[in-house]
Amino acid sequence: MTTVLIVLPLAAALVIWLLPLNDVSAGALALLAALAEVGVWIQLVVRYDFGQGGLQFGQQWNWFSDLHVSYHVGVYGFSVWLIGLTVVAMAAAIAYGFWAGRDRMRAYLGLMLFLTGAVVGVFTAQDLLLFYAFFEAMMIPLYVLVGVWGGPGRMAATLKFVLFTMAGSLLMLASIVVYGLSQNTFDLVQIGQSSSDWIFLGFIAAFAIKAPLFPLHGWLPDAYRESSPEVAAILSGVVSKAAAYGFLRIAIAKFPEPAQHYRAPILALAAIGLIYGSLLAFRAPDIRGVIAYSSLAQMGLITMGVFSVNDLGLDGSVLLMVNHGLVSTTLFLLAGMVERRTLTGELARLGGMARGRPALATVLLTTGVIALAVPLSSAFAGEFLILAGVFRHGWGWSVVGAVAIVLAAAYVLRLISAILHRDVGPAVSDAALDLRPAELGVVVPLVACLLALSAWPAAITQHSFRNDRGTDDVARGFK
Amino acid sequence: MIYGAWICLLSPLAAAGLITLAGERISRRGAGYLATLSCFVAFGGAVATFVGLLGRDGEQRSIVSTAWTWISGGSYRSGFEVMIDPLSVFMMLIVSGVGALIVAYSIGYMDGDKEERRYFAYMALFVFSMLLLVQGGNLLLLLAGWGMVGLSSYLLIGFWHERPAAIAAAKKAFIMNAIGDATMALALFLLIKKAGSLEFGILGGEYSSTVATLVALGLLGGAVAKSAQLPLQTWLPDAMEGPTPVSALIHAATMVTAGVYLIVRTHAIFESAPHVADLAAGLGAGTLLVAGLVALVQVDIKRVIAYSTMSQIGYMFLGVGLGAYANGMFHLMTHAFFKALLFMAAGIVIHALANEQDIRKMGGLRQLMPRTYLAFLIGSLALVGIFPFAGFFSKDSILAAALDRGAYGYVLWVAGLAGTFLTGLYTFRLLFLVFWGEPSPFVREHFHALKSNAVGLSLAVPVAILAVLSVVGGWIQWAPLWHPIETWLQTAAEPTVSPENWQEWVTSALALLFGIGGMYFAWLFYGARERRSVPRFAFAQRVLEHKFYFDELYDALFYRPTVWIAKGLYRWVEDPLVDESSTSLGQDTRDLGRLVARAQTGLLRTYALAIASSVAVLAVVFVAVK
Amino acid sequence: MGPNTAWYLGVAGFLFGVGTLGVLIRRNPLIVLLSLEIMLNGANLALIAFARHLNNGDGQIFALTVMAVAASEVVVGLGLIVALNRKRVPLDVDRLSSLRG
Repeated sequence: MTTVLIVLPLAAALVIWLLPLNDVSAGALALLAALAEVGVWIQLVVRYDFGQGGLQFGQQWNWFSDLHVSYHVGVYGFSVWLIGLTVVAMAAAIAYGFWAGRDRMRAYLGLMLFLTGAVVGVFTAQDLLLFYAFFEAMMIPLYVLVGVWGGPGRMAATLKFVLFTMAGSLLMLASIVVYGLSQNTFDLVQIGQSSSDWIFLGFIAAFAIKAPLFPLHGWLPDAYRESSPEVAAILSGVVSKAAAYGFLRIAIAKFPEPAQHYRAPILALAAIGLIYGSLLAFRAPDIRGVIAYSSLAQMGLITMGVFSVNDLGLDGSVLLMVNHGLVSTTLFLLAGMVERRTLTGELARLGGMARGRPALATVLLTTGVIALAVPLSSAFAGEFLILAGVFRHGWGWSVVGAVAIVLAAAYVLRLISAILHRDVGPAVSDAALDLRPAELGVVVPLVACLLALSAWPAAITQHSFRNDRGTDDVARGFK
Repeated sequence: MIYGAWICLLSPLAAAGLITLAGERISRRGAGYLATLSCFVAFGGAVATFVGLLGRDGEQRSIVSTAWTWISGGSYRSGFEVMIDPLSVFMMLIVSGVGALIVAYSIGYMDGDKEERRYFAYMALFVFSMLLLVQGGNLLLLLAGWGMVGLSSYLLIGFWHERPAAIAAAKKAFIMNAIGDATMALALFLLIKKAGSLEFGILGGEYSSTVATLVALGLLGGAVAKSAQLPLQTWLPDAMEGPTPVSALIHAATMVTAGVYLIVRTHAIFESAPHVADLAAGLGAGTLLVAGLVALVQVDIKRVIAYSTMSQIGYMFLGVGLGAYANGMFHLMTHAFFKALLFMAAGIVIHALANEQDIRKMGGLRQLMPRTYLAFLIGSLALVGIFPFAGFFSKDSILAAALDRGAYGYVLWVAGLAGTFLTGLYTFRLLFLVFWGEPSPFVREHFHALKSNAVGLSLAVPVAILAVLSVVGGWIQWAPLWHPIETWLQTAAEPTVSPENWQEWVTSALALLFGIGGMYFAWLFYGARERRSVPRFAFAQRVLEHKFYFDELYDALFYRPTVWIAKGLYRWVEDPLVDESSTSLGQDTRDLGRLVARAQTGLLRTYALAIASSVAVLAVVFVAVK
Repeated sequence: MGPNTAWYLGVAGFLFGVGTLGVLIRRNPLIVLLSLEIMLNGANLALIAFARHLNNGDGQIFALTVMAVAASEVVVGLGLIVALNRKRVPLDVDRLSSLRG
C-alpha cells in the first residue's frame, strides 16, 4: 500500500516521459495518475486503523545490509494526513498546470508526478538514508521546475534556492551518517534516541532552511515569486511541510534532550518569524509577496507547535500543517488565476474584481477568511491548539501569537480588498472574466476540503497520534 | 426541544449555503424570501425550545447537546455542542425574532440592489453566527461564534465594496474585533492550562485571584471590542457605512450586545474577580457619557443612533458589571426592540430621501410621513425611558441596582442619570431636526413616498411590529412589582445585587425627570417655534466632533507604528540583510565557479597531462608511505 | 619456462608509456584513440602477467572485462569521430575546446 503510493506517481512520470504523447493526452494521463493517487490515499485512510495508531502498512527490504540500511516505509496517523495534503494539492496543481498549458507539457507534468512520489516518500520513509534520498529527490524536480518554467528572474531564484537547500541537505547528510553509524542502524523506527547537540543541529539546519525559519528565508520570496503559480503552491503548501514533518518525526522524537535544550532559541526564532512575516506580508506590494511572507509566519507558528512538545501543540501543528498546505495552495493558484487575467500581481494595479465575478470573489473571500484564522475555521482550530500548547512554556509566546492573529487579519483583509474591492484597478479590464469551470474544478475541491476540516478539525487532531497522545509517541521516538 | 435548538442554529446556515451555491439560479427576491423564511424557522425552533424549557423545573433547565467532538488535543476536548438554558433561550428568541423581522425588512430596503443574493446570504450567515455565539455549549464555540459574527459584520459593513469608506470601516471593525478575539483567546489558554477544559462549568472553579482577574480581563477585552465600549469603541460609528438593516440587526439589536451576554454567561469568573467586574461597570458608565456627548454634535442620522447604541450598551455593561444580570439582559431585550425600530424608521427616511443621511438637509418630514414619524417617536420615547415605553422599565432598574452597591455605585448612578439627560437631549434633537419644522428645500426636491406594494409592506410591517414591542415589551417586568425575567434567568445567573423598592422608585422618578429635562432642552433649541440659538463652545464642539480624538490617537499609537515598523523591516532587515545576503551568496558562488572554471581549458591534452601527473604523484606518495 | 614476469611487465610498461605519450602529444582524435587502446593493452598485459605469476585467474577475467569495455569504448569513440567528420569539423583535438570554462 505505502509502496504503491510512492511508485504509482513515479511510474506515471516515467510513462509520460517515455511515451511520445501529445500535450493533451499527456496531461490527461498525468491528471488520471494524480487522481488515482488520491483514490489510493482514500483507501489508505479507510484501511488505516486509527484506533490502534502507530506504524502501519510497513514494508521493509534490505538495501545495504552491512550498514543496516533498508528500504523501509510505513505510515503513522499524522503522516496519513500529510500524504493526503500532498496528493490532493498535487492533483490540483497538476490539473491547473495542464489547464494553463505550460510549455513542454510532458516534461513538466512528469516532473510534477515525480515530485509527488518523492514527497510521499519523504512522509513515509522509515529509514534515514531513504528519507534523505527522498528529500533530495523532492528537491531536484523543484530546481528544474523553478529554473525552467519560472518567470524572468528564475535563474537567480533557482540559484538561491539550490544553494540554501543544498547547504541544509549536506549538513543533514553529515548528521545522518554520524547518527546512523554511531547507532549502528539507519532504521528510523529502531534507531535509539541521541543526546548529541551537533547531530541535532545538523538536522535542524536542514529543516529550518526548508521550512523556512527566520532568518533563513532568503530564498523564499524569490522562489515563490518567480515560479509558476502551481509550483509556488506546491513549494509553500506541501514541500515546506516536509521540513515540519522532519522537526516532528526526527528532531524532537529522536533528540529529546537537545530539543529541550534548544527549545527557547528555536521558539524565539519561530516567534520572530511569525511577527516578522506578518509585518512584511502587511506591506508586501504584490499578491505573491503577501502569501509568501504569510507562509513564513505560518511556518513559524507550526514550528512553535512542534517545539512546544505537548499534546495540544503537536495536535495543533499537524492540523495547521494540513490546513496551511491547503490554504496556501489555494491562494497561490488563485493568485495565478488573477495574474493570468491581469498580467500583474501588483496590488496597486488591481482592485474591484468582485464586480461581476461572483465565483472569484466567493472563493477568494472564503479562502482568505480561513487563512486569517477566523474562529470556527480549521486554521483557527490549529492556531488555537498551538498557542494553548505553547502557553505552557510561558504566556509570552501566546501573546506573540495573539498579536500575530491580529496582524494576520490585517494583511489578509488588505489582500482581499486590494484584489476584490474599491475602484477597478488599471490592470483589470472587462475582458478579465470570472473563473472558468475548469478553474473552479481545481480550487473548489480544495476549498471544500478546508470547509470540511473547519466543521470537523478533530478528524485530524483525534487521529494523528496513538490515543491522541502525541507526547507519548514522541517520547518513545515513534517506536 | 433539543431538535428545536439545532434547527434554530442550522436553518440560517442552510439558507446561506443554499443561496451561495444556487448563484443565479435563484431570483434576487427568492433569495430574500429564503433567508427570511430560514430566520422565521429559527425563531420557531427557539420558541419550541423555550416552551420545552418552560415545562421543566428550574434546576433541570440546563441541557448540553453534543453533536460531535469538534477539536481535541490530548485530554482536552471541546465538542460541537449547543447549550440550552434560560439565558441562551432568552438570547435565541431575541436574535432569531428580531433577526427575522429585520431580514424581512431588508427585502424591501435592498430591493433593486444588484447583489441582493449576496446580501441575504451574508445576513443568514450572520444570524447563524449570532445563534452559534449564544447557543455554543462551551467557551471555544462561544469564541467561534464570536469570531464569526465579527466576520459577517465585516462582510455586511463592506457590502457596498466599491465605496472605499465602507471597506475601510469594515476592515477597522474586523481588526478591532480581532483584538478582542485575541484577548479572549488568551483568557481561554489560561483556562485550559489551569482547568484543562473549556466547559462553562469550570468558570465556577477555584482559581487564585490573579488567574481569575486575568481570565476576566481577557473576556472583558473581547466584550468591550464587540460591544464598542471604551476603549475599543471607535469602529461602531464607522460601521454605519453598511446598509441600514445591517446597522439595525448587527450594530444595534444583536451583535454589539454580545459583550453583555458574554459577561452574564461567564459571570462566575467576574464574581471571583470583583475588580474586573467593577471595571466593566466603570467602562460602561464612561462609554454612556462619552457616547452621549458625541451624539450631540453628529449630523448623520445613523451615526446619532449608533452613538446612542454605544451609550445604551454602556448602561447594560453598568448593570451586568454590578451584578444585576437580569436587568442588563432585560435592557438588552427592550433595546433590541426600540433601537431596531429607530434604525428601521431611519432607514425608511433615508429610503424616502434618495439615500441622504445628513440631518441638516432634513426637516418637516412629520407631515410627509406621519406613520414613520409615529414609529420614530415611539422608538425615541422608549430610548429616553419615558413611562410607559419599554426603556423606562429596563433602564431604570439598572440604575437602581447601582444604588445597592455602596460609594462606587453612587458614582455610577450619577453618571447614569446624567446619561439619561443626554439621551433625552440628543434623541429629541434628532427627532426635531428630522421631523419638525417646515420641509427643507432638499426634502421638497427628493422626497418620494413609500408605495404600498411588496416593498412598502416589507418595510412597514416589521417597523409596525417593533413599534408595538417597543411599547409593550417593557411591561414584562416592572422591577418593584413583578419580575418574571429575573426569575427566568435566576438559574443561569443569580444577581448579586437586589435594590430595595424605594431605590427603584426614587431612581425611576429621577430618571424620568432627567429624561424629560433633556427633551425639554432639545425642544428649546431645536423644536420650539422660536428656537434658542444653540450655545457654542468652540473647544468642546471640536473635541466632540473629533469623537474625543480616539481615532487620531489609535492611528498614531498603533496603525502608523505598524506601518513604520513594517517599512523599516523591509528597509533595514529584509532588503539589506536577508535578501542582499542571499543574493550575494549566490553571486559569490557564481564568481567562485568562474574562477575554478578557468582550470577547464577545453584542451584534451591538458586533462590527460593532469591525470597522468596526478597518477605519478600518487604513485610516489604511495611508495613513500609504504 | 619462458622469460620471467619482469620482462612481461617491462613490455607492459613500455606499451603504456608509448600510449600515454601518444595521447599527450598527438592531435588527431583517431590516433589519440589508438594510443588509448595501446595503454589499455599495456595494462592488460600487466594484469595477465600478474595472474600467471600469482597463479590466480582473477587477473585474466579482469583483462577480459577491460577488453570488452575497450571494445565498446572504441565503438563510441569512432562513432563520435565519424560524426565529427560528417559535420566537417576539423579532426584536431586542440580545436575541439568548446568545453573551456
